[in-house]
Amino acid sequence: MSLNTNEAKLLSALTTRGSDAAKIARGLDFIVIAILFFAIIAALHIHMMLTVGDWDFWVDWKDRMNWVTLTPMLLIVIPAALSYPFMEKFGLPIAGTLCGLCLLIGVWLSRYFSFHLWTYFPMSMVWPSIVIPGLLLMDLVYLLSRNLFATAIFGGGSVAFAFAPANWPILAPYHVPVIHMDQVVNVADLIGYTFTRTATPEYLRMIERGTLRTFGGESTIISTFFSAFVCMVLFVIWWKIGKWLTHLGRVPNVLKKHVGYDEHDVLEEK
Amino acid sequence: MAVTQDDIVKKGDIKPWKFKLKPVFMGMLTLLVIMATARWYQQWAAWDYGLDATDPLFDEYWMKLFWVQITVLPIIFIVSVSYMWLTRDKHLNNITPREDLNRMIFWISMLIVYAFAFYFAGSLYAEQDATWHQTVVRDTSFTPSHIFLFYGTMPIFIIIGFNLFFYAITRLPFFAKKISIPLIVTVCGPFMLLPTVGYNEWGHAFWLMEEYFTVPLHWGFVFFGWSIIALAGLLIQIMNYLIELMPKVFSEKGELMS
Repeated sequence: MSLNTNEAKLLSALTTRGSDAAKIARGLDFIVIAILFFAIIAALHIHMMLTVGDWDFWVDWKDRMNWVTLTPMLLIVIPAALSYPFMEKFGLPIAGTLCGLCLLIGVWLSRYFSFHLWTYFPMSMVWPSIVIPGLLLMDLVYLLSRNLFATAIFGGGSVAFAFAPANWPILAPYHVPVIHMDQVVNVADLIGYTFTRTATPEYLRMIERGTLRTFGGESTIISTFFSAFVCMVLFVIWWKIGKWLTHLGRVPNVLKKHVGYDEHDVLEEK
Repeated sequence: MAVTQDDIVKKGDIKPWKFKLKPVFMGMLTLLVIMATARWYQQWAAWDYGLDATDPLFDEYWMKLFWVQITVLPIIFIVSVSYMWLTRDKHLNNITPREDLNRMIFWISMLIVYAFAFYFAGSLYAEQDATWHQTVVRDTSFTPSHIFLFYGTMPIFIIIGFNLFFYAITRLPFFAKKISIPLIVTVCGPFMLLPTVGYNEWGHAFWLMEEYFTVPLHWGFVFFGWSIIALAGLLIQIMNYLIELMPKVFSEKGELMS
């Protein structure tokens, strides 16, 4: 790839240590990081809370089927879309990890200041899912392969495959069986009965389906495989959407004459 | 003796470069104070006066606040956007590259304030609504969480977004000549969250949906939340423009030329 005169001049200016151009470029880096940090927290968090939020909010909703299946599927959407601009435009295979980190910060602030301090749920009940390992693996595959389809298959799949194992160490104690009113339930259920929420009846209707009430482990594995397959497909779809959103372009401004431009100026720019 | 870049800057021929970050810090501090005060008010008044919308105390402590917000914030919107338009630069075709760069970098830095405001609406106050409704059943569209989320934090980021949009098309040549579609998506997508509130509240009233947060009725918010992905496209457009603009302002050694 060859540089034109302007680009070569700029490159020379930016690489001159201590120059104004270098200072501006470095300053811009920090500004862009700050913008992306807050924007990604907001976008990913609102996306997650309204698509799989209930499974993430409460420890008794972290079931073997819906939580394991749906969370990775919805989790991969925005990281996949941002993988295109980050990797293809800036050469940074960090979209997944950055998204995971931003989500983690946003969610922990929310759980502490809102769920714990405002509505008094214990933190042991409202801890968020651990999402970084799968997204980190996704970035790693993208870095090593630099190939969309390899990343979709191995990276997208790893978002789902890493999800249940990453959360298992913290979740396992809540899945210990206990007897409550002559019924076998688990510790998470017992906490859920103690802190009843308006969604409790709906949750109980959901978990009575299929094998969700059993203590068998196979549901988790089946759900993970299904989720991984969907994640592979979603990675490609959302990577393409990210590409489309990155190249949206510009349209003529009908108000430009009010700021001193005429048709000639715009034609000149072309 | 040869005249150096420092001599020129010292003489005042070329103004030295300085990031104008004071408005960014002031903006973020102001937002932080507003949001922290709102959160404190919720802690103080929600459980004592915010449980029943038919209670006269609810009118006293919450509905008054609601009316203040939906009166003051639209006025701020109209005044600030009008100000942006009326004080526009009418001779953008004569702007110097240095001034263009100054304004562009100032504008990019103000995007931090926009993103910070979007954080409160899209993250902290949005998820807070879930915990309130899971604890206290909604009785009307006006609850201690809604009054700050829908009629406080959302209008605030919309005001900031539209001001940035009008600043861009009235003071920045790149956006004034042609309007950036990613910019429109970045500003108007999150704006559409507000009309979605109308549909959402209608749906809750009509279908009495209160069971869980991930109901399809809420997915409109998700759809418009995705629009922030276009921010990446906007940043790439800006970077490409800066690659064209900066060589007009800097010498090969990175020194200011104007």
